[in-house]
Amino acid sequence: MNVRSLNGAGFLHMRRPDIGNRVLIGMVAAIVIALLLYFLLLPLMPQALRTPGSPVLYLIGALGACLLLVSMAFVLAKRTGRGGPPPAWFVAHVVASSLGTVLVAIHSAGYLRRPPALLFLALLGLILLGVWGRVWLSRRISATFGTKHGHFAALAEDKRAKLSVLIARKVEILRALDPGAAEGTFSLTLAHWLRRPRLSARYARLVREESGLIGTRAMVPAQQAYWRAAHLALAYTFVAGLVIHVVTVTFFAGYVADGGEITWWHLAAW
Amino acid sequence: MSRLALMIDLERCIGCKSCEVACKQEHGLGPGEYRNKVVWLGDATQPALDFLTVSCQHCDRPACLRACPVNPKAITKDPATGIVRVDEDRCTGCGECVIACPYGAMGYDAVDHHAVKCDLCTDRREKGAPTTACASVCPGHAITFGERAQMVAEAEADGRTVRDHDHFLLAPANVYLDRLPRENGIGNADTLADRQPPAFMDADFAKRALDGAADFPYRLPREDREADRVVPGGCNICFNCCSTKFHFKGDKLVRVTGNDEDPVLKGKVCPKSQMTLQLYHNDKRLTQPLKRVGERGEGKFEPISWDQALDEIAGRLEKVRADYGPEALALYVGTRTGIVTRNAYAHLFSQMWGTPNIEGTDPFCAAGKNLSYTITQGTVGSGNSYTPGDLGSAEMYLYVGDNQGETRPVYFGMINDWRIRNKAKMVVVDPRLTVTASKADRWLAIRSGTDMALALAMAHHILSNDLHDKKFCENWVLGWERWRDEIFAHGYTPEWAEPITSIPAGEIRRLAEEVAGADGCVIFASRGINQHTTSVQTNRALMFLAAITGNWGRKGGAFFNMTAGVPIAPSAPKDRQGKYDRPMIRKSPVGWTDAMRIGKPYPLKAMIACNNPLAQWPGQEEAREALKALDLLVHIELFPNETTAFADYVLPAAAGIEKGEIGRSNDDRRIVWIDRMIDPPGEAKPDGWIWIELGKRFGYEDVLKERYKDSAVFWDEVCIDNVHLRGCTQRRLHSVPYRWVRFPVASEDAPEQETLYLEGTTASGAPEGKRFPTPSGKLEFWTEALEAKFAILGLTAAPVFYSEREQLIDLPYVRLTCGDDADGVLSPFGKVPTIATPGEIVQPGSDSPGARLRAEGFDTELVTGRPPAPHFHSWTHYFWQAQEMWPDLYVQIHPDRAKARGIADGARVKVETAHGAIEAVAWLHAGIRPTAVFIPIGWGEKQPFNPWRSVNFLTDKTQRCPLSDQTNLKTLLCRISPA
Repeated sequence: MNVRSLNGAGFLHMRRPDIGNRVLIGMVAAIVIALLLYFLLLPLMPQALRTPGSPVLYLIGALGACLLLVSMAFVLAKRTGRGGPPPAWFVAHVVASSLGTVLVAIHSAGYLRRPPALLFLALLGLILLGVWGRVWLSRRISATFGTKHGHFAALAEDKRAKLSVLIARKVEILRALDPGAAEGTFSLTLAHWLRRPRLSARYARLVREESGLIGTRAMVPAQQAYWRAAHLALAYTFVAGLVIHVVTVTFFAGYVADGGEITWWHLAAW
Repeated sequence: MSRLALMIDLERCIGCKSCEVACKQEHGLGPGEYRNKVVWLGDATQPALDFLTVSCQHCDRPACLRACPVNPKAITKDPATGIVRVDEDRCTGCGECVIACPYGAMGYDAVDHHAVKCDLCTDRREKGAPTTACASVCPGHAITFGERAQMVAEAEADGRTVRDHDHFLLAPANVYLDRLPRENGIGNADTLADRQPPAFMDADFAKRALDGAADFPYRLPREDREADRVVPGGCNICFNCCSTKFHFKGDKLVRVTGNDEDPVLKGKVCPKSQMTLQLYHNDKRLTQPLKRVGERGEGKFEPISWDQALDEIAGRLEKVRADYGPEALALYVGTRTGIVTRNAYAHLFSQMWGTPNIEGTDPFCAAGKNLSYTITQGTVGSGNSYTPGDLGSAEMYLYVGDNQGETRPVYFGMINDWRIRNKAKMVVVDPRLTVTASKADRWLAIRSGTDMALALAMAHHILSNDLHDKKFCENWVLGWERWRDEIFAHGYTPEWAEPITSIPAGEIRRLAEEVAGADGCVIFASRGINQHTTSVQTNRALMFLAAITGNWGRKGGAFFNMTAGVPIAPSAPKDRQGKYDRPMIRKSPVGWTDAMRIGKPYPLKAMIACNNPLAQWPGQEEAREALKALDLLVHIELFPNETTAFADYVLPAAAGIEKGEIGRSNDDRRIVWIDRMIDPPGEAKPDGWIWIELGKRFGYEDVLKERYKDSAVFWDEVCIDNVHLRGCTQRRLHSVPYRWVRFPVASEDAPEQETLYLEGTTASGAPEGKRFPTPSGKLEFWTEALEAKFAILGLTAAPVFYSEREQLIDLPYVRLTCGDDADGVLSPFGKVPTIATPGEIVQPGSDSPGARLRAEGFDTELVTGRPPAPHFHSWTHYFWQAQEMWPDLYVQIHPDRAKARGIADGARVKVETAHGAIEAVAWLHAGIRPTAVFIPIGWGEKQPFNPWRSVNFLTDKTQRCPLSDQTNLKTLLCRISPA
């Protein structure tokens, strides 16, 4: 983590929290190696570490899940302005989710052919997508500068007319959604969604239409345009899967045990 | 406060990218990080070249801000000024703003993962700067910062059209002024529509080479780069010779900017000058003396001490002298080393040693024009100045083979600015639509190597229609009637010139009438004229054209072929000069290679090279063989390069503010002094120190004195000991905040002269009453004495048309009557006794070289030349930012020709001539003669970021001007195919 650094000239300075590419790659490589070693050595481990749902693995899983939820906290911190600088939360989300993934892998006890293993796969996908986005796609994002020169030339006039209508509709909705806001600098926040979900949805649809009309995503390579959306979609899928997993092991412990011993804490053994 | 913005004038922007360099310095940005960028745009279907400076538009409805998912936003908009800023401490680096900005104006730091963007230099202005970094340096005067409404009002009052680029109703604040309409269509339609940048400019593989390349002080926080003192000086790289300011934090150089106190340049500065920051902080510099331990070319060395290096070199030089005589030592002292080194330190050493074989890069660049000026005007260079009252007052600018926009961008920025302000005319004659041509009213795509025909035909039309300035001709030109009669006798009419030049006769007549009719026309010429076997005669024909139209010795009228040189010419006392019996082998260093290889006309066994002959010398295969054959090769250099690998000893040199020197000679006769401000890296030493220390080994310390290691002392005591420079003392240079004096100044209190050779004046150093410093006091076209001298070399004083031997059509060419191994004749033009080779003009036949090559499939004209403004020879290839801008060796090729050969934009291609082959990447450019390709100089195979073989593997050392020994580098036949 490159929080403080001493440069060649001897200047000491504070920097914005960030995980450098080398550190990130190193971290992921360490995780992969650690997990490979762990799975290789698993047959030699105590029975408690080889039994899914054993108390110790249960606790490890719970701890892993908590760490993974730091990512959700990052989302909340970023979108609500509470909890400190978003870059620090970004770093926390990377570190916590990496550690969480390790714990989830241990929690699996090597049972990777059962449905919960999909969660582990999703986690791996999230990590790979995240690292790819941060390390390799960053260069592509950087190279976007100056590539949209065509938009300085004259474009079809009807696009402007359509945008004009669309903006007027946005302004109209905004009067009800957030009367004090200026359309030109406004974007929806979590608070808007909680207070006026339907209006927010209508506004969000217009925002998408405007973006489509301008064609911003079409102007960049698909991987750049949709990388973040894919990362988010996978994350939300994981959270949904995690919730399902928690519910099933808590309330449908019998089903999960499939006739075997229920070794974990649960509320019902349906 | 009203909305602030940048106003960018597309008519004035010359694509030099100086603004990019200023921005990265100001904000400490590294490779790949942009707050602004100049995009070069061409058209695959029609000749076009435009430049678009992209930076944040500071929209009223900023799409980036709305796309930012952080709350509160990491992007904010100031309600008073409208400035949109990114708060890097809140940015998580998701990149949504980059996608959202439809102008592609949001940057991204791929190392620290956050958005970066233009904030109109808010931090800089808060500290008192009146304008943005980009606007402060822009050589083209294309960027203005200020209140939007006021700028728009002023532009509209000037009759300029403000471009409407608000296609997305974002209400961008930045203002773009459209190109002005012109005759040849450029600027008439939307000059940004359907345009594309060359594919190779953003090639990812090229950019990867720059990972981690940014040295100090880039990528540091502002407070670590904040200067606490500023020292004025100048740039030592190119012929624009910008005055600069060096900014220091403690003893560390943190920034290089233009000098806003300069009354001429006004702080405008080219990208190279600013990028010298990457020269002074560069981990690729040579830092200790090296001795070769491997084979020549292998590049294996061991570090040794200075004493050991110099002692061993001296010992081996003594042996060479004992075995072969003093003339067996050659000194190749090019302009990288600085004029003081070349004309003084090394010159004195050569005099005391006793070798005539000392030369620099002139025979590759300017020898032809220097000789032309000397025999016509009596001294080198134009007497005009870059002032509003002089060059700024011309009614017409005619560029012939001079791409000033890329080679001297700040001067061209001034000319282009005057053109627009004064509604002056500009015509460019060049095989390529260069940056210069892109600003012209008309671009005439002449066949390379036929400019003499154009000049002769224009003169024919002017003289046959009595359009010449009779009074000037009668009073101030000697032999003009003889020249006129020769032109008439040869029938050099526009109709005759049309098939030769491929410029229509009507256009030639029109151009002639425009030049003759203009109240002040400046005819610019440069390497496109010089680098030919016709070098002297074409230069003279163009000079004569300027003279007969009265465009000489007046304000706003001139023949202008680059620099006037700096007349530093010290001499060792006669009794301390070494004696030599044999003449200089040839004026051109490539004429030395037979002497190195086979010992004829006499052996050259040792060379001290201060430039990079193994990239620069035409005919690289033979050049390498020659250097391999030497008993001793010493290389004094800044960076390890191709020549270094062949050297026996490598001596690390200092540059610019590491040693104290004057800048390059430049168009404007300004001598810019650069103080020594920092120590060279490691054990590197100033060139003067090296020559003095080497001289001590031979007992030269009575002339090359110890105290002359201080270049300022050397300057005052040795360099300015002549009437032209006597007033240009250290005291006078330091009395002005811009550190330059325009010569000639005969005494410390002598006023500078804006325009030389005005009627009623006496030329510097000439007898009283002589307007021009020729024997007659007039411009000399033809005299019997001149005729006799020309005859020695097989030509006539009145230029008779010939071209190059490798052409796509049959044209007369000059054939040298013997090789460099022969004794030849003594040149009538040599400053020292010099062997020259007479030539003879040969009429083409079916077995002429051109015809034979065409039959072998060499069907394309190869033109070589300077790359865009950020590069200058090989130095800048060690600067990461110049590589970021122009990474790869390219070949400009017309799309039709490329299509016929299955070559795509950005594809790797092979280019072959009869002399060698190289590879490069293709740049499809409709702004080039369909039959021609262009490849720039400067790349080399040992360069650190994007190495390519030098273009001089394609050139030919045997095609040289009999008069000046200048090599043809502009017209060769080649064939091109996918690699």
